[in-house]
Amino acid sequence: MRLFQKTNFNFIKHRKVAYAVSLLLLLAGMVSLFVRGLNYGIDFKGGSEVVIRFAKPVDVGAVRNVIGQAGVRGSVKQYGMERAVLLSTDYHGETADLKGLITRSLSDRMPGNPGEVVSIQAVGPSIATDMKWAAMKALGAALVGILLYVGFRFEIKFATAGVLAIFHDVLTVLGLFSLLGGIFDFMPLEVDQSIIAAFLTIAGYSITDTVVVYDRIRERIRGQKPSEYERIFNESMNQTLSRTIITSGTLMISVLVLFIFAGPAIRGFAFAMFAGIVVGTYSSIFVAAPIVFDWQQRSKSAIKLRGA
Amino acid sequence: MKNNRFKLILIAVVALVSVWSIWPTYRDHELSQKLSGFRSSEDSLKFAIDHRAEIEQARDKSLKLGLDLRGGMHLVMEVDLFDLIEQKAWNKDARFQQIMASVRSVAATSGDSPVELLATEFRKQNIPLSRYFYDIRNSDREIVDKLNKESQDALVRAKEIIRNRIDQYGVAEPLIQTQGARRIIIELSGVTDETRVRKLLKGTAKLEFRLVKEHESLLRAIDTINSMAAEGQAVKAPAGSSMASAAPADSASAKVAAAPAAGRKLSDVIGVMKNGLVFTPEYAREYVASMFKREDVQARLPQDTELLIAAKPEQTEKGEKYFPIYLVKKSPELTGGVITEAKATFGTQNVQPEVNMSMNDEGTSKWARITGANIGKQIAIVLDGAVYSAPVVQSRIPNGNSVINGISSLEEAKDLEIILKAGALPAPVRILEERTVGPSLGSDYIRAGLQSLIWGFVAVAIFMIIYYNKAGVAADFALVLNILVVISVLAGFKASLSLPGIAGIVLTMGMAVDANVLIYERIREELAEGRSLKMAVDAGYSRAFSSILDSHVTTLAAAFLLSQFGVGPVQGFAVTLMIGTGASLFTAIVVTRVIFDLLVGSGFMNEKSFG
Repeated sequence: MRLFQKTNFNFIKHRKVAYAVSLLLLLAGMVSLFVRGLNYGIDFKGGSEVVIRFAKPVDVGAVRNVIGQAGVRGSVKQYGMERAVLLSTDYHGETADLKGLITRSLSDRMPGNPGEVVSIQAVGPSIATDMKWAAMKALGAALVGILLYVGFRFEIKFATAGVLAIFHDVLTVLGLFSLLGGIFDFMPLEVDQSIIAAFLTIAGYSITDTVVVYDRIRERIRGQKPSEYERIFNESMNQTLSRTIITSGTLMISVLVLFIFAGPAIRGFAFAMFAGIVVGTYSSIFVAAPIVFDWQQRSKSAIKLRGA
Repeated sequence: MKNNRFKLILIAVVALVSVWSIWPTYRDHELSQKLSGFRSSEDSLKFAIDHRAEIEQARDKSLKLGLDLRGGMHLVMEVDLFDLIEQKAWNKDARFQQIMASVRSVAATSGDSPVELLATEFRKQNIPLSRYFYDIRNSDREIVDKLNKESQDALVRAKEIIRNRIDQYGVAEPLIQTQGARRIIIELSGVTDETRVRKLLKGTAKLEFRLVKEHESLLRAIDTINSMAAEGQAVKAPAGSSMASAAPADSASAKVAAAPAAGRKLSDVIGVMKNGLVFTPEYAREYVASMFKREDVQARLPQDTELLIAAKPEQTEKGEKYFPIYLVKKSPELTGGVITEAKATFGTQNVQPEVNMSMNDEGTSKWARITGANIGKQIAIVLDGAVYSAPVVQSRIPNGNSVINGISSLEEAKDLEIILKAGALPAPVRILEERTVGPSLGSDYIRAGLQSLIWGFVAVAIFMIIYYNKAGVAADFALVLNILVVISVLAGFKASLSLPGIAGIVLTMGMAVDANVLIYERIREELAEGRSLKMAVDAGYSRAFSSILDSHVTTLAAAFLLSQFGVGPVQGFAVTLMIGTGASLFTAIVVTRVIFDLLVGSGFMNEKSFG
């Protein structure tokens, strides 16, 4: 089976359109980041999350009332699981007290439907700050590492464009989290450690995709004149298009499976990955290679690639 | 073909090692199925005894499940090194307190070593550290080095003591390790009573024997404090402090009390009984305790004394609970360091649990001197700042025995015994992070993880066959081997599999075929250009290699960074992703290649086999 016969899209000619689309996406994300901000999970802001499971189906509003009247401040939502609710609060003291209070007030006020605390996670503010820093460091180190590696394997223009594409992908997904955060009950889209894991995986995947296109360009550009570059860039992108789409496809299948089956703890991660794959695939074709091309046009020197 | 023989052997070895490494996991599962399958418990017990060696071996070598899957506690604790530093300072004037306070607030949001933070702050204020620490002739550098050494020792000691406590409590395969300059990570699986474990871990177990001041001094001290309250000095709790509003109080009664006690004067919640006993009612205990710790209150007390509250309440006839208050000497006569043995038992006179302790030689002789010199006086036995009992010394105690009573349950006595035997923590510890998953949620996660694994595999495998025909089958074979390798490496290195780890495997499946897709697409191109099948396969592999290498290196790098910086759950994901990516490099380049060489050579595959 083949989804793509020989394609012949003129990607380079229409790159300005792609730039505009990307800028628009980024801008929308940025505006949302400034206006709406991000929903941080307890990993990054500190606090507690309690999953309570009931014996019978339960009305979230009723649970919210009971918990509120017990004096716990926070939000009570449906947890993406049967008969379970998730309480998030900024409390970060003794978890035993919290658990005791919840269990007691639930058994007092809702005796017909016993609720059990099946999971408590509590993160203190100092450790949350640490985790934020660790996340920044990991992302920063990944970007620098990729810049150096691609710079070493290709050349600095290619490396810079690749890292710009990663920025583009991660920022777009972050913007999406800001835009959609808290809208869906089944996926709160909170930014926590698992989302950072997704970002790093996206960074790795995005550069993978980009490198495949680069690789083809490197293979074909040997000994060609700069006037031929536009044709070569286009052909290379068309030739790798099928592969790019298919691998994104298989990865998307995996991620969709995770989204559907792996439960609420993984859902935010799966969503981030899915969005990242879509944007990453797009950016390796429409952002990374065109930037290299534009840069090349300006510098007016022939491309000299290592390993070619 | 010689080359292929080597590759075939390599593949066979990898496959065999994988199966060998996964075998105990399968066996363990099978055996536990069998065990739970017996109708009577005698049968299952008999089977367990008969097959004990095998069961234990299988369990030991089987793939470990993460805490989130089998239920358990993950704790990050912090050793309060500032407390340690304060203990080391020989001069604690107001200036020092002020600097410590500001360093503490900086440390709340910084992971840096407390000693470095302290040194920075002193330098900023232009005060030599030697004004407060060690010898006046020491340079700042020397003092920092010494304090750093003390801190490191304290962290390691705290870890060992916590390990001792956990071992004595009895948790299977606890994981305890230090992280950074002041943290300890603890992972405990299958804990049923989390509250008890938490208490066991957090208790500093600072045991002190302190002289109780004569009763008149206590009454005078209470008078002074009460009059201080009457003068309207700030002996009011900061009403509605951030902690109070955020914290749900433990019990209903404490909740009722928290509000009124907060605005109340100290004199309203401290009473003197007819027999002269000074007490505070149960609902006000915490408030009063916090007031006693305040400097302006302590400044009004006689030199070198402190007000402490009893650990356990007494009851009036009406059932009201109240806590006696004691005025004790601030410096202890003797500390818990001399305790060599502790044993929880029931007391002889009343059937209350108590802990008997014996001391080492040095402690024994000191204890004899202290008791001998204070006959007729009270000595308070203070544990972590609360008075457990304050018996009147009847006679000199020559044998180094002492008893803690005033314990409410035998369980508490047992825990005290554990804590006392393991020794006191060098500094207080705090729980910074806690993740507890109950076993029922864990089994849900296992189901979710298995479903994602199965569906992920089925979906990717079917897609590859539909899209690439026979070549897809080869890729699927490589995929199976890939998953086997990941699981066997996890089992072999005794790493545990968590839900994020499973997510990593599912993701790896999607990524592992990437290399095959690259190669197949290339082969298709070469075929389209009219090359023979063998040449196309050769070209496909050699030309795609550079892309495959680059893409795997970048993914590996990202996963590696994640495993370095990520904590807890995310690490499991990073590790499986790393193993999976490494394995995929092998399966895609070596395994499918051999399959093609064999099949193309035998004429089983043709140009159409690549879809």
